[in-house]
Amino acid sequence: MHLSRRAFIKSGIAASTAATVGLPIAKLTEAAAAEVEKDWQWDKAVCRFCGVGCGIMVATKEGRIVATKGDPKAPVNKGLNCIKGYFNGKILYGKDRLTQPLMRMKDGKFDKKGQFVPVTWEQAFDEMERQWRRVYAEKGPTGVAIIGSGQYTIQEGYTAVKLMKVGMRSNNIDPNARNCMASAVAAFMQTFGIDEPAGNYDDVEHADTIVLWGANMAECHPILWSRVTDRRLSDKNVRVVNLSTYHNMSSDVADLEILFKPNTDLAIQNYIAREIIARNAVNWDFVNKHCVFATGPYDIGYGMRPTSKFAYDAEKDTQAKELRVKLDRNEAIAQRRQAGEEVEQKNAATADKHWLIGFEDFKKAVEPYTLDFVAELAKADPDEPLEKFKAKLRQLADLYIDPTRRVTSFWTMGFNQHQRGTWVNEQTYMNHLLLGKIASPGNSPFSLTGQPSACGTAREVGTFSHRLPADMVVNIAKHRETAEKLWKLPAKTLNPKPGSHIVKIMRDLEDGSVKWCWVQVNNPFQHNANANHWLRAAREKDNFIIVSEAYPSISAKVADLILPVAMIFEKWGGYGNAERRTQLWRQQVPPPGQARADVWQMLEFSKRIKLKDVWGEQSVPGLKEEGFPDGKLPSVLDEAVKMGYSPEDSLYKALFATPDNLKVKWPDPVAKGHDNHIVSLLGDGWFVEKALFEEYARFGRGHAHDLAPFDRYYDDDVRGLKWPVVNGRETAIRFNEQYDPYVRKGAGIEFYGPAMKALPLGNLDAVTDPAPKSLAGKAKIFFRPYAAPAEQPDAHYDLWLCTGRVLEHWHSGTMTRRVPELHRAVPAAQLWLHPKDAEKRGLKRNDLVWIESRRGKIQVRVEIGGRNRMVQGYVFVPWFDEGVFINRLTLDTTCPISKETDFKKCAVKVYKA
Amino acid sequence: MDTSRRDFLLKAAQGTAAAACGGLLWAAFLRSNAAAAVLAIRPPGARPEADFAALCIKCGQCARACPYDTLKMATAGDKVPIGTPYFVPRKIPCYMCTDIPCKVACPTGALDPALDDIARSRMGLAVIDEESCLSWQGLRCEVCYRVCPVKGRAITIEMRPRETSKHAMFVPWVHSDACTGCGLCEAACPTQEAAIRVLNPKLVQGKIGAHYRLGWRSETPITQEFHPAPAPAPAAGEATVPKKAPGMDYLNQGL
Repeated sequence: MHLSRRAFIKSGIAASTAATVGLPIAKLTEAAAAEVEKDWQWDKAVCRFCGVGCGIMVATKEGRIVATKGDPKAPVNKGLNCIKGYFNGKILYGKDRLTQPLMRMKDGKFDKKGQFVPVTWEQAFDEMERQWRRVYAEKGPTGVAIIGSGQYTIQEGYTAVKLMKVGMRSNNIDPNARNCMASAVAAFMQTFGIDEPAGNYDDVEHADTIVLWGANMAECHPILWSRVTDRRLSDKNVRVVNLSTYHNMSSDVADLEILFKPNTDLAIQNYIAREIIARNAVNWDFVNKHCVFATGPYDIGYGMRPTSKFAYDAEKDTQAKELRVKLDRNEAIAQRRQAGEEVEQKNAATADKHWLIGFEDFKKAVEPYTLDFVAELAKADPDEPLEKFKAKLRQLADLYIDPTRRVTSFWTMGFNQHQRGTWVNEQTYMNHLLLGKIASPGNSPFSLTGQPSACGTAREVGTFSHRLPADMVVNIAKHRETAEKLWKLPAKTLNPKPGSHIVKIMRDLEDGSVKWCWVQVNNPFQHNANANHWLRAAREKDNFIIVSEAYPSISAKVADLILPVAMIFEKWGGYGNAERRTQLWRQQVPPPGQARADVWQMLEFSKRIKLKDVWGEQSVPGLKEEGFPDGKLPSVLDEAVKMGYSPEDSLYKALFATPDNLKVKWPDPVAKGHDNHIVSLLGDGWFVEKALFEEYARFGRGHAHDLAPFDRYYDDDVRGLKWPVVNGRETAIRFNEQYDPYVRKGAGIEFYGPAMKALPLGNLDAVTDPAPKSLAGKAKIFFRPYAAPAEQPDAHYDLWLCTGRVLEHWHSGTMTRRVPELHRAVPAAQLWLHPKDAEKRGLKRNDLVWIESRRGKIQVRVEIGGRNRMVQGYVFVPWFDEGVFINRLTLDTTCPISKETDFKKCAVKVYKA
Repeated sequence: MDTSRRDFLLKAAQGTAAAACGGLLWAAFLRSNAAAAVLAIRPPGARPEADFAALCIKCGQCARACPYDTLKMATAGDKVPIGTPYFVPRKIPCYMCTDIPCKVACPTGALDPALDDIARSRMGLAVIDEESCLSWQGLRCEVCYRVCPVKGRAITIEMRPRETSKHAMFVPWVHSDACTGCGLCEAACPTQEAAIRVLNPKLVQGKIGAHYRLGWRSETPITQEFHPAPAPAPAAGEATVPKKAPGMDYLNQGL
């Protein structure tokens, strides 16, 4: 029997496939093996994991995923995957996949002290409703919360936003993406007036200088790193710089590695700005046409609680800095004040305040950031000679400033999960704007997104405590009016007071402000800093916590009710990746057991709440907004009746199964025969995912957030499209007339983002002329100072702790640790420690140690080599392992502007267990 | 007790002990022999090792038929089960006779008579040690490539830049879908210890997971008419809530 080589390979693999999958084929001839693959059904989809957004194809047979492959037609990855993406086909099939609702019961009733037992969906929703009514009656909209996700599909995020903000009139919806991208978002909004990067991944191939700031791309954006590395290999002129607090795998490709101390990135950025000015390298043509200078207050605290009421005794000294900070010598120089000065943190609640300044003030502000000052402040490795470090900083400035170089800066969590995250994001724009190196191929300050749809869902749909879709916010009347019009709502339905962000929701659970909380598509009780507080709050306070999950996670363990969910390929959905590429997929296989998609769960729950329950007068303590009574949302029921609603209408009818949406019918040829379990279960014949997508898209179309029609994303030749998609064309580079249809003809470059484009004028310390000046079309060059971290190593806790990731595992490990091969590859988190630090403590590699902070302690094994090499005084622990629950130790400081947690710096000690 | 009886009992005990020791030694020898079977490079057409062990009657006809004296019958002390045929490629490789006389001579079918094309035999898999292969260091060698009888398929040459000088490198690659394990490459390899050698594929070959395809290797167009699996019969009403559910025990352990 003659077989072509290809058929031979294929059938050989098919034979082993059959054996592994367990199909009953005893003895295969090669021909029979090829037969096995013949009835596989293939469809395009996206990888479940990171923000790179690789395209994949999924093969199913008999209701099961039998294989996946990298999609060779996907521009992002051209057929490649990283080792997590390689296992997309297995993540649905972990042994303890949740398939049944579980609720804590005693004597046949819900009891918070009870053990989990299986219940029916009916019982689950009954209790959810009972608890919701109890809490809503007692506390109103501020007593309920949804913790959403940057891994929500677009439709899930949109359903949640509508349910919360329109239905319950609550702004207590915030995603885990708050702790991922919020600083980036705040910086985008403050700098450009609109969210998300100008450039795209193709900037890699056009840049000749690629700078990583606190981002281990090699492990965290693996396929994009392959592109960076290829660029480096393909052209001798290309330079890669890795700025990090320790040596990691990204350093292996870098020409220049700069190891700096925590928070000193703020100083290094200002050094570069100072150099740009000192060398007369400011691109005045660009700056005069397109930029203004701005600054804001420095006394903004650290996002901690303003009271020590809930603090453990050990953490009170750190918490006190929220109110008052004693400036150290370096801060004093950096902020033009006196060493030892005690500064009241008066602007903690108004941290985002900012105003215009003149260039002379800006120049004066960066003047202290000399090479000598910054090098001494920033150098992390005690074994590195200071002169060598200075040379590196000079080289970094050279690379940015060289007019022939096209610079792409990449950053992720090192910048965003930062007590001054918004500031340091803005500083990157500062330098790119000063040089005019932005919005052209290869010149790209590129904020990398960590999660697969922090962009596409959380940010674009607005699943945040202060946001509405398409970059609108709840606290601007015009935005609310626009949303109310699009949503066909009575005026004043929407709550103008921003709700609790994710860290605040945890604190609200602790102090009893929030008593009903629904967690979807994330694991907040493992991921939030200072975890011991929130674990206790979940179990011991009078609250009801619902966790929709696929696997038994830490959050599920502390929940009161667990709802089993459909995972990615078991439902229709869509994600938007870091380069604004929206990608949609169809349901490939049914969800197992009683597991059901989050959208179905929300729609079913919405059937139980009537308009009369929510659209009457509601109490919102602290609400002060023009046109609203103090502390109250007015009743909108009368107006609603005039518009055709009935107070007896369920939220399902009023918000979701609207007359417009019911017109979007199922079945639909776009399905090509694929199932839709949500539509089947709802049984009323409307195509939920398409209707919601099109309803949501109306917010962005015509407002520089244009999405293509739903069906277009499902065309066979499409592999996602980068918005804005105008007249069928995607946009490669925004703000540049050559590529972006929203730039006015003849403008060349235009930063048309509308938010915060009228500012008062002042000096470095205060506003002097409060009348707002328009900066339409311009971007802001911010001066932001260096500030020291709130908690630093001292005699008692003598090491820095940084947390992060490894390539093999995703987030809290709920999926990847259930793939046997990935678990075998990296079974447990380790503590990376410098060999000298280990020796000082009598520790050897693999020793079991305690690592302890003011807030908690856990055990972990020591590693002194391997993929990371630490500097002395600095340790690293990845957070994917619930058995090494490092967030028990971390500190819940946040950027006061973005409210994003700083997971990268707190003080610990390490000793033998 | 008289001495003769005592002697007898003593000798019996000693004899048993000796036999037991001998038995242990022999069992150990047999075990190590069997374990070493994985190292044996068998004649073309040899069945999988378990079947081969059952079928080979150690008659030596294959070795006699081989015109090149390639095949040896294993003796005690060879790292191969005693009496079975094998070869050492570095000494005398298989010359890939197109009429496969060894297989023809085999009376029991231990060498599979269905093998009709010597290029489809799989006696072993050639493996290159990139540290000791001269071509991999940048030198011009590629002897293995030139002597390989399955020219251009079992071993191919990839040109790549040397980068440290303006010379290209010519690096050999072995492809398991064409390599027969004949060992002509190993025999010809000019380094002191052969940098390419034939091994039992089980010792060297990995396997990409059955759940994954290399995306660019085969066309898999999007299915235009998808047929979902028939939905499982719905649970009979809400009455069928199970007593236990996956994950429950772990969840009830608490923190």
